[in-house]
Amino acid sequence: MKLRSKFEKDGDLKFISHLDLMRAIERAMRRAQIKFSLSKGFNPHPLLSFGPALMMGATTHGDYFDVVLEDEIDPEKFKDDMNRTLPNGLKIIDCYRVDDKDLLSDRVVEGEYTIIIDLLDYGKDMGDIIERFLNKDEILAEKDTKSGKKMIDLKKYIEEFKILSVHDGKINLYLRLKISEGSPGPIHVLKALDDFAGHVFDLEKILIDRKKLILN
Amino acid sequence: MLDIKDKLDKILMKVSKPARYIGGEINSVIKDVNSVDIRFAFAFPDVYEVGMSHLGLKILYHLMNDRDDTYCERVFAPWVDMENLMRENDIPLFSLETKTPLNMFDIIGFTLQYELSYTNILNMLDLSKIPVRSKDRHGYPLIIAGGPCAYNPAPLSDVVDLFVIGDGEEIINELLDLVKACKKDGAPKEVLLRRASKIQGVYVPSFYREVYNFDNTIRTIEPLNEDVPAKVKKRVVKDLDKTYHSDRQIVPFINTVHDRIILEVFRGCTRGCRFCQAGMIYRPVRERSKKTLLKLADKLIKSTGYEEISLTSLSTCDYSEIESLIYDLIEKYKDRGIGVALPSTRIDAFSVNLLNEIQKVRKTGLTLAPEGGTQRLRDVINKGVTERDLINSTREAFKAGWRSVKLYFMLGLPEETMEDVKGISDLAHLVADVYKDVNGNTKGLKITVSTSTFVPKPFTPFQWCPQDDMDTIIKKQNYLKELLKGKIFHYNWHEPKMSFLEAVISKGDRRVGQALIKAWESGCKFDGWDEFFKFDNWLKAFESVGIDPRFYAYKERDFKEIFPWDVIDAGVKKDYLVREYKKALEGRLTNDCRLYCTGCGIKDLDEGVVCFETEK
Repeated sequence: MKLRSKFEKDGDLKFISHLDLMRAIERAMRRAQIKFSLSKGFNPHPLLSFGPALMMGATTHGDYFDVVLEDEIDPEKFKDDMNRTLPNGLKIIDCYRVDDKDLLSDRVVEGEYTIIIDLLDYGKDMGDIIERFLNKDEILAEKDTKSGKKMIDLKKYIEEFKILSVHDGKINLYLRLKISEGSPGPIHVLKALDDFAGHVFDLEKILIDRKKLILN
Repeated sequence: MLDIKDKLDKILMKVSKPARYIGGEINSVIKDVNSVDIRFAFAFPDVYEVGMSHLGLKILYHLMNDRDDTYCERVFAPWVDMENLMRENDIPLFSLETKTPLNMFDIIGFTLQYELSYTNILNMLDLSKIPVRSKDRHGYPLIIAGGPCAYNPAPLSDVVDLFVIGDGEEIINELLDLVKACKKDGAPKEVLLRRASKIQGVYVPSFYREVYNFDNTIRTIEPLNEDVPAKVKKRVVKDLDKTYHSDRQIVPFINTVHDRIILEVFRGCTRGCRFCQAGMIYRPVRERSKKTLLKLADKLIKSTGYEEISLTSLSTCDYSEIESLIYDLIEKYKDRGIGVALPSTRIDAFSVNLLNEIQKVRKTGLTLAPEGGTQRLRDVINKGVTERDLINSTREAFKAGWRSVKLYFMLGLPEETMEDVKGISDLAHLVADVYKDVNGNTKGLKITVSTSTFVPKPFTPFQWCPQDDMDTIIKKQNYLKELLKGKIFHYNWHEPKMSFLEAVISKGDRRVGQALIKAWESGCKFDGWDEFFKFDNWLKAFESVGIDPRFYAYKERDFKEIFPWDVIDAGVKKDYLVREYKKALEGRLTNDCRLYCTGCGIKDLDEGVVCFETEK
């Protein structure tokens, strides 16, 4: 059977990579004595799949992973057993059964983010800047890919981008991005906006939280 | 310390591998700091990934934390990017568990695994705002050190308050009890050290003095007080089945050097390789029963969730019941995808059965250590393995599907000639021929040849030997680079200047310790890492304290000479080491002491010390 778990990664665990996260989940399943299915081949590993990787330093409150299990297990029990053995900072918030053929990678369509960032220049009207930024014909940004650097048009991916609040020298933003093969992350949007606005953000002081992944 | 936590959050995004500094791993221990009497910082003078792979830390951390009155936390050397940001932001070195500055601990315990990490000890003290010299420390934490390199305590004698010689778990409880009592009485450091020096296995360097001859050799190592022992005898765990073992191990978030369960099957080694310090100082051999090991393995698998279990010792295939142990472990856990790993293995120890068992779950690398390139040289070092052994075991491995092999050798061993160096390449080519024989061609084959440079070490039969000079080593390495050309061969070698420095510190006296402090003051740290190694700074440091490093590394020593480590009694007697050295020069072998007693003297160390001879 296949279970889909929605989880959060918070606190100091924002400093572990996607690969570290996958290992942490696998080992937590072993500690919880969950009988997961193994891949065939040279080095057997659990049939685990995750949604798109989160950048180092970002938290999430709605990412997903799928796992194939040998035995039938009540999703609630899976959730409870896992939460007993996961390290602080990782927590499963929801778990349900899906069809074996249901692939997480086919399901993920959008990501919702909130971003808190230090402002360098309080005088500028950020609302106006963001409006003009979004009204551009194309928003080009450079993205590192496996085959080197590539220019992509961010405009195709930005579904929603707005200010939630500004206070205490910090701006709180809401961003919804389309997710597909090679799509950009929130950091690309922030950098492009920062360039457009003439360097208004302290890019070393950003808190990014993926509020949730949106599945179709 | 909320203050440090706040500051950390701002800098961790800017450093490489920030998870090195966060703690919070499964099976790490969180206690209320106000509920304990003693706070102990287990300090490892290298980065997190290296330190977290260390067995001694795994044992002692949980042993101490199982005491209600003690809280043991961990600290590692911060990588250079982190150190710079810590200094910039005025963040003192802190423990991973509670982010407490190190100068608030009662004891800081360093483990000494490698001489080239000594400057990191000084750097870690400095980052903790603690003076590096013990004479300048009053009202600071007690700085203690143990581990294999503590068997020559001389180079760190001005830095460390007391050394623990031998198996840590045998002695640490007595020491904690003493520190607790002294803390309660408000006893000053001098009193505490005086009382500690009465514990067997404790060496307090400030109670001794080195006196030198005109030729720079040592005349005496004098106790300064009547009531300290002339020789400090090591402590040994007598029964590994009954001694403390933890059923938990910390599971790091990031990949460490050995990221798996470490199951110690026995301690010590019976082989008697003449270059090997561990083989001498960890005597006698003490095995854990298979029953204990299986029980322990089960608990560790449950508590860690690891996917691999490594059977550790100095020579794991020598374990009395190795085949059935591996068989039982594989059968029990293969359905869960949990594999068994064997670290570097003797080339004669392999059986088809073992190989087939291990690869049922996952193939781990095959690492073999012939050490010497020719039979003559292997006899000199008492390695006792043959070319036939190598052919047989690699043939079985290739038949079982292995495609890559790592071969470990040493360069610069006593009596080595260029013919022996060529022998290393000959053996590698022979292994390639075996592969060809099994598979018809060399497709997919990878042979990694690694040579380290021989470093004469205290308490070995080769402690009197000179090290090859650096030019000779470079010549030998270049020769091998020429011989090991071609796609299938990969040759790794060790930086000769580092091996030279390792020899100087390994055999160093207290004057080398003065140079160590100078070298650190001039910016040396992470000396074992190529990118930070500053050999010129070290040479200047030696010059400034008026010593010639070549004296320590290159001089052939006289049997009558007094060594800085003669103040330590490691159990293995000097006349045995002399005998072994003489036999080496004649190329004569000494048998494995499981066969019959070779007279090393360990069984006379203490009452209750059991080796294979006393068991009979």
